[in-house]
Amino acid sequence: MFSLRALALALCVSLATAARLTVSIPASALLPNPATLPPSTHAVLVGPPGVRYDAPIRRDSTFLFPALPAASYLLTLHSRDYAFPPLRIDVSSAPAESPQQQPMHAWQTFRGNEWANKGPSYGAGHGELHVHVQASSPKDFYQSRGGFNLMGFVKSPMILMGIVSAAMIFGMPYVMENMDPETKAEFEEMQSKSPITGSGGAANQIQNFDLAGWMAGKTADTGASAGGGGKKK
Amino acid sequence: MFLPLIAVPLLLAGSALAVFTDEAWNVDYHYALLGHPKQSTSFFHQPNPSSRASLIFTLSEEGVLGAINPRDGAVVWRQVLLPGASAHNASFLRAGEGQDVVISGIGSQVAAWSAGDGRQAWSLDVNGPVEDVEILELVDGKDASGAKDAVALSGGDHPLVQRLDGATGAVKWQHQLGGTDAPYQVSASTTEVFAISLHKTILGYLKLKVTSLDPVTGHKTDEHMLSSENELATAETIVTVGANSASPIIAWTDSAHSVLKVNIMGTKGISSFEIEKHDGQAVERVELHAPYHLNSLSHFLVHYQTATSHWAEVFHVDLKNGKVGKAYSLPKLSGRGAFSTSTSDANVYFTRVTRNEVMTVSSASHGILGRWSVDGFNVAAGEGEEIEPIHAVSDVSVRGDTVSAVRSAVLLSTGDWVLLRDGSPVWDRPEMLASTVSATFASPAEMETLVQQLEAEAHSNPIQAYIHRVSRHLHDLQRLPSFILSLPQKIVQGFLGTSADGGIATDSFGFHQIIACATKDGRLVAVDAGNPDKVLWNQQVADLQPGQIWQPSVSSPRGGVIEISSKASAGVQYNASSGEQLASILPIDLAADQTAQEVKYTMHDGGLEATVDSSTTWHFMPTSGERIVSLVPRPVNDPVASIGKVLGDRRVLYKYLDPNLALLVTANDAARAATFYVLNTVSGAILYSNVHSGVDVSSPIASMLSENWFTYSFTAEALGDSPKGHQLVVGELFESLVANDRGLLSSTANYSSMQTGTEPFTLTKIYQIPEAVSKMAVTRTRQGITSRQLLAVLADSSAVVGIPYGVLDPRRPINRDPSKDEQAEGLVRYSPVIDFDPKWYLNHQREVVGVKDVITSPALLESTSLLFAYGLDIFGTRLSPSFSFDVLGKDFNKFQMLATVAALAVATFVVAPLVMRKQVNSRWQFM
Repeated sequence: MFSLRALALALCVSLATAARLTVSIPASALLPNPATLPPSTHAVLVGPPGVRYDAPIRRDSTFLFPALPAASYLLTLHSRDYAFPPLRIDVSSAPAESPQQQPMHAWQTFRGNEWANKGPSYGAGHGELHVHVQASSPKDFYQSRGGFNLMGFVKSPMILMGIVSAAMIFGMPYVMENMDPETKAEFEEMQSKSPITGSGGAANQIQNFDLAGWMAGKTADTGASAGGGGKKK
Repeated sequence: MFLPLIAVPLLLAGSALAVFTDEAWNVDYHYALLGHPKQSTSFFHQPNPSSRASLIFTLSEEGVLGAINPRDGAVVWRQVLLPGASAHNASFLRAGEGQDVVISGIGSQVAAWSAGDGRQAWSLDVNGPVEDVEILELVDGKDASGAKDAVALSGGDHPLVQRLDGATGAVKWQHQLGGTDAPYQVSASTTEVFAISLHKTILGYLKLKVTSLDPVTGHKTDEHMLSSENELATAETIVTVGANSASPIIAWTDSAHSVLKVNIMGTKGISSFEIEKHDGQAVERVELHAPYHLNSLSHFLVHYQTATSHWAEVFHVDLKNGKVGKAYSLPKLSGRGAFSTSTSDANVYFTRVTRNEVMTVSSASHGILGRWSVDGFNVAAGEGEEIEPIHAVSDVSVRGDTVSAVRSAVLLSTGDWVLLRDGSPVWDRPEMLASTVSATFASPAEMETLVQQLEAEAHSNPIQAYIHRVSRHLHDLQRLPSFILSLPQKIVQGFLGTSADGGIATDSFGFHQIIACATKDGRLVAVDAGNPDKVLWNQQVADLQPGQIWQPSVSSPRGGVIEISSKASAGVQYNASSGEQLASILPIDLAADQTAQEVKYTMHDGGLEATVDSSTTWHFMPTSGERIVSLVPRPVNDPVASIGKVLGDRRVLYKYLDPNLALLVTANDAARAATFYVLNTVSGAILYSNVHSGVDVSSPIASMLSENWFTYSFTAEALGDSPKGHQLVVGELFESLVANDRGLLSSTANYSSMQTGTEPFTLTKIYQIPEAVSKMAVTRTRQGITSRQLLAVLADSSAVVGIPYGVLDPRRPINRDPSKDEQAEGLVRYSPVIDFDPKWYLNHQREVVGVKDVITSPALLESTSLLFAYGLDIFGTRLSPSFSFDVLGKDFNKFQMLATVAALAVATFVVAPLVMRKQVNSRWQFM
């Protein structure tokens, strides 16, 4: 699956001075069986402007570039299911005495960094190089929606407050029933004094609020209850 | 309160840009296409020799190799062997009997592919164009692997016959075909390999030269010229050079198709047969169908086609005395027919597909073994168009003496590839869409009728309008009973969440838009974006000669109408919903803006020239050595909701909004530089320009301009400290970079690009991206309120990604964390690398191969934009770049809502008496 440009270039370069690069995907914990990769998986080598090679995945999960001229290449593996780290592949000119022995070197490279910034070496060879590239992460395309979760629902503070208040409403009468008379009297005494529920409490005042009187301009006993009445309206 | 409000959509944006699990595969649609299959490269083959299940393999005119499951028509695997291939490219696909590989030959590459999973077994570059590939069926006995070798014939300066090892692709031997003869084909019998080349005589006629080679050593054993006299003027009248049968044959006719000559390869005798004339009509096409197996009977069928009818004759080859004799003929039938050959053991069967029936005969006698009538192919076609089979491949199941079932994959004249099982269509693949060259969205005509009626009411006098309205309402009332009847069902479906999208007429969201695609072979095909499983209509709109190329452009000038125009003809309009051609006399549109003037651009001497009213207003000449790569104007329909950007502290940065902007890209091949200009297309002023060096100008440079921002991407070479790889540049134009200040424009209410020369302030950022972008587009919504997404086509990943603008924003702070105000705006710290998050892949697990262009259209809902990508594959989806804020999506749980309401109601009824009692008690007790 070479592009036409690559073909033209491959033809220009005689086979004698071409380096052979094999890239393989070994089995790893992330990708236990590389044979499951789809056949659209391919490797792209981008060289100097105009030079580009594209190799499809082979039966043994390798990519073969049979004839590379001397240049510095960026190797990218594209697969539907997994992401792979980019590599830098350098093919140097062969020494005059052994034209088949082109020094080749592979490093990891980092996007967004200068090209000279090389990562760990992936191997070196003469005329031939075999590089293993492990999958770096699986691709997860899908976003799942936050569905309805009962535990999460119950845990939310609003619901917890609701449950507590419901317990109070339903539970209090029974607690009161079962109290001994003295404690009960004491409790009632306390409740009658409380500012909210007692006879002079805010709750009662709101309920007994004389709206007509207030609107007629009658001066209220307490300003607070007037404000409350306004809100209620 | 305001700050959280702007922060909310931005926060939501993060989660909304992904493809949701429940929407994937439902909202989006994808046709994984191969292109027009060729007769010679399509066949049924068992990918696993031990199992009887077979797949359909084809190498299409578009250069795509693929395997199709005959059960449902799904693509099992495919490989693009030659991107941008056309019908002119010679291509070959062979499969050896009992082999688990298929061998392809296209361009200058011969490759073997694992038939079951589509991985490459080996590939070989033969120095020159591949002229033919065959599989050597003979068994050496030496080879233990069982892989059958291939023979490849290559052309070019040094024509070669090569024998390739079936397991590794290594060259076993090669034979140079000397001389100046053009290599034509290669063929193999049990004992010999034949290379056929065309020898040009002095008179300009062709002679067939047969070179026999020893299959083991590759040495030449014999060479002879066939005395074809003066019949062969061009190679096109050579009917076949049969391969891989017990007795390979060569057959040719004269240019008038009056006589058929057959030669058994390896012999010098030529049998000659008169072609009978039927009804005095000239035979247009002669095709030969022969089995492809060494051990099958050496029978073959010759198919004759005239303009109105077709018939066939079956011939038998007598191997002992090398004679060819006619056995029987199949009667003439009107219309076109397709014949295909299948084998079962040694027996050969011919299947004939016509527009009315499918029938199978044995090669030995003319008795019909199976016959099934065809009640239509179940594909869309033009008005009054007769659907004809073009070619077919068949798989025959034989039980005893009868054919129990036959499956035929038939290419139809509409461009559909259908499978007929016993005459009834099982699936169809709209392969004509693989050659789409132009496409557009159009709203359905049904939606437009109401608009037209309302307009009619608005423009007539009140009494007439009133009568019109009442009669319209009365007319609408007729639909009431059916509406009421369907109501319960609708409600139930609504609660169960199974409500299917309604038809085009009841589409209230604008999802049902019609997409019209003009294809390379002159057809116009329409698909409904809301119901993409079926092609709406499909008709021939241009009568193209074979090999003729047209460059149509499809557009929708107004709702419900599709206009197609090409260089040769003015626009022809079609009804979007039915495909009916509209009257060629167009009503003059009075509402058109009389004050607007058109500026036209033409490429002139490598430069750009703009003319208004036939007078040139400006020129743009690139500097010497540069050529114009592309010009991308701002879309005509590009609504912008806000003229400013609201900052975190509620101040405003004013956008530089000008409807007449265009992004021009020029490339300098020698200097390897690309220059990008933002032009004002009326005045010709250059508003912004930037040059990048070390650019790979031969790789695609994608660019896009919308609203007040532009973006482009290119592949850059490492220069000095710069990184190597693919880069994406984003620029945004502002009236001024000072908040709350409109710069020079502040005092003017109106402005004209002709008079004032205000220049924008441009902010740009460069990002590194992991792979090349081949095409860019942007989402479009009705009002432009929804934030935009950049759509980028990734050719290497076969994907379309939607990149949120927030990621690209050129105002991302560099080398510092964003301030509180910037955080409120949603800006994050600049990082030089944008990694395409897999969640941005709009196609998710689908692989959208060969996308050439992406078009977008707003839906009626503000939140939603429709997307359609075409090229080889067809892909479409709906996008909500700012979350679906105006429609209840699938995430809205109707059951949960009802349950909550019910629970609250119960709680209210239970608690109300308790509270009442408590209040009463408290008054009585504490008074």
